[in-house]
Amino acid sequence: MLKDEKRVESITLSGRESVRLANPDVRDEFGLETLDMNMGPQHPAMHGLLRLILELDGETVVRCDPVMGYLHRCQEKIAENRMYPAVIPLTDRLDYFANMHNEHGYVLAVEDLLDVEIPPRAEYIRVLMCELMRLASHIPSLGFLMLELGAFTPILYCFRERERIQTIFEAVTGARMMFHYIRIGGVKADLPPDIPQKIWDYIEGLEQRFQSDFVDLIQGNEIFISRTRGVGTMSQEKALEMGLTGPPLRCTGVDFDIRRDYPYSIYPELEFDVITDQAGDVEASYRVRIAEALQSIRLIKQCLEKMPEGEVMGDLGRRLRPAEGDGFGRVESPRGEFSVHVVSDGSDTPYRVHYRDPSFCNMQLLQEVIPGHYLPDIMPIMGLIDPVSGGWDK
Amino acid sequence: MQTVLNLLEMEPIRFFIAFGAILFLVLNLAAILVMAERKVAGYIQLRYGPNRVGWRGILQPLADIIKLFTKENVAPGRADLWIFLGAPIALFIPAVLVWIVIPFAPGAVVADLNVAILFFVGVTSIGALGVIMAGYGSRSSFSLLGALRGAAQMISYEVPLILSLLGIVMLTGSLSLVDVVNAQGDTFWSWYFLPQFPMFIVFYIAGLAEVKRVPFDLPEGESEIVGGFMIEYSGMTWALIQAAEFASMGLMSAITTTLFLGGWQPPLPFLDLGQFNWFWFGIKTALIMFTFQWIRWSMPRLRMDQLMDFGWKILVPACLIWLFVTAGVMLIIPG
Repeated sequence: MLKDEKRVESITLSGRESVRLANPDVRDEFGLETLDMNMGPQHPAMHGLLRLILELDGETVVRCDPVMGYLHRCQEKIAENRMYPAVIPLTDRLDYFANMHNEHGYVLAVEDLLDVEIPPRAEYIRVLMCELMRLASHIPSLGFLMLELGAFTPILYCFRERERIQTIFEAVTGARMMFHYIRIGGVKADLPPDIPQKIWDYIEGLEQRFQSDFVDLIQGNEIFISRTRGVGTMSQEKALEMGLTGPPLRCTGVDFDIRRDYPYSIYPELEFDVITDQAGDVEASYRVRIAEALQSIRLIKQCLEKMPEGEVMGDLGRRLRPAEGDGFGRVESPRGEFSVHVVSDGSDTPYRVHYRDPSFCNMQLLQEVIPGHYLPDIMPIMGLIDPVSGGWDK
Repeated sequence: MQTVLNLLEMEPIRFFIAFGAILFLVLNLAAILVMAERKVAGYIQLRYGPNRVGWRGILQPLADIIKLFTKENVAPGRADLWIFLGAPIALFIPAVLVWIVIPFAPGAVVADLNVAILFFVGVTSIGALGVIMAGYGSRSSFSLLGALRGAAQMISYEVPLILSLLGIVMLTGSLSLVDVVNAQGDTFWSWYFLPQFPMFIVFYIAGLAEVKRVPFDLPEGESEIVGGFMIEYSGMTWALIQAAEFASMGLMSAITTTLFLGGWQPPLPFLDLGQFNWFWFGIKTALIMFTFQWIRWSMPRLRMDQLMDFGWKILVPACLIWLFVTAGVMLIIPG
């Protein structure tokens, strides 16, 4: 494996100089080898079942190969054997921190095939649920980031919020995670009568707690800043080249959000800002997520205020047989662009379903960005992407 | 009967009995600290902590000990067994041994060494050996990294730890901890934490690093190297490492109290409890331990390079400057 001691020009990556980065197989001037290390798939701090094959030069990572597939469940193939409405519960199992967005994406794709009229109230409920889901994903992701930096406490505060949102979901949909709530043509059921007020109260309370619980305690912490600033930095060009979407893209300064640029549902009627940051490091992604959570609060309030009365389910036949063709739906999930491509052959099961999951696509960052960083920086960079196992493995 | 009493008065026997008492105290302290840690964590994290075993979970440490005793000791197949099993002992002994020089109350000290501070410094540095043994003996890349980190960290932070003690040695003119406590007097403004305030801070930080607590718990670093040097331990060996960790944490609090917070001295003269002054010692030590736990549950972890930078570029120069200041002041104001 080891080659002769040929001198290699040293290169600089992420501000650190290393001979190894130019050629990992070469011994350094002391004749020392690199250390191969397996991180995961059963690593307590790893997001889901990801395995990283690392090559370490001391504490510096020289090479990082992510290995996926430990949670692969053939979701796309199973979908081909199910009738159109029966695929929705499967989409819940994809990115289990953004179930509503998965459902919404799939339903948009099928509705694109069917050309069905959706009642406005259903649209509002969908957006309301999606934005609650975004809160329930962004806030814990801050906790995960802190957990990865070694602070154990914030995650419990974050999960307190997620728990309350899940209670709302439970009252609305009957389930805490696997909702099966957004249906083709509308939503499963109308909101229970007391729920809008409950959501409003919760959101008001969260807005008051937000600054003290999630910003003041974390953002000014000297150790947090020194661990995240300049870690995982990437340029705009690189982020675009790698096809990143969501907070990892926006934290580099690219102003792109599906909700605004490819509007769907009732987002054109609502007011919200697309948050960007210039730094492109872990700290920037943290700031983007914080600000996006506040935007979600704003959107939820608008939804509740503007919510029209009426039906929540469109007029659909008992058995769906879309005409031959393609349907495409894309939504802005908390992690980035989630899009679904459904091909119909005229029967009652889809011919092909494809999910483009942001966790999977953003994961390309690892190979590019991690080499040159120290071993403890891997975890914050994972926090920058915030991938979900069910998402990248489908 | 008289013979037995005479025997008890003999120096070696007295020493062994006192050492047994210390061992008893330290082991109990470790159990209580584990419990306290979990309760403090619970209250900081919006939850109750253990509350099932006994009244408000007070018997939880007992349940933990029973669990750990009955668990199988698993050693990795390729482990270097002598080193692997020796490491917990090498970690535990120094954590207990230093307690013998600490004065708990007037006259209540196992061994009043005239080089007690030197003894403390010397014996605690053996702990680094235990970390290296544990990491090397278990033959895992994670534990190896943890051991390397631990060795680097403990050796680096020994330097500011020792330097921050020198001011006190200069003020007292003695290396004996009994003398240090006696010199501090029974009013809280005469304790050394005021004239030596910067060194108090440095000693506290270096002490945190020395006992591997957050934000300096890199040798454990559970989010990247999942437990570091103790990753392969289970059952009793793991319990021994944990006991050593908590004992050394208690030790560091006790030493901080002794050196900077007047040891068993009461905060004001009329609060003097005579032989029962160990109460003040206990209160102050518990307070320091609580701050350790408070920091543990509210801070993220530093990175290795930042840790080294902080130790060598900030703490060591600060200590050296303060030593000069102390020496200068002592020259100008004699006595």
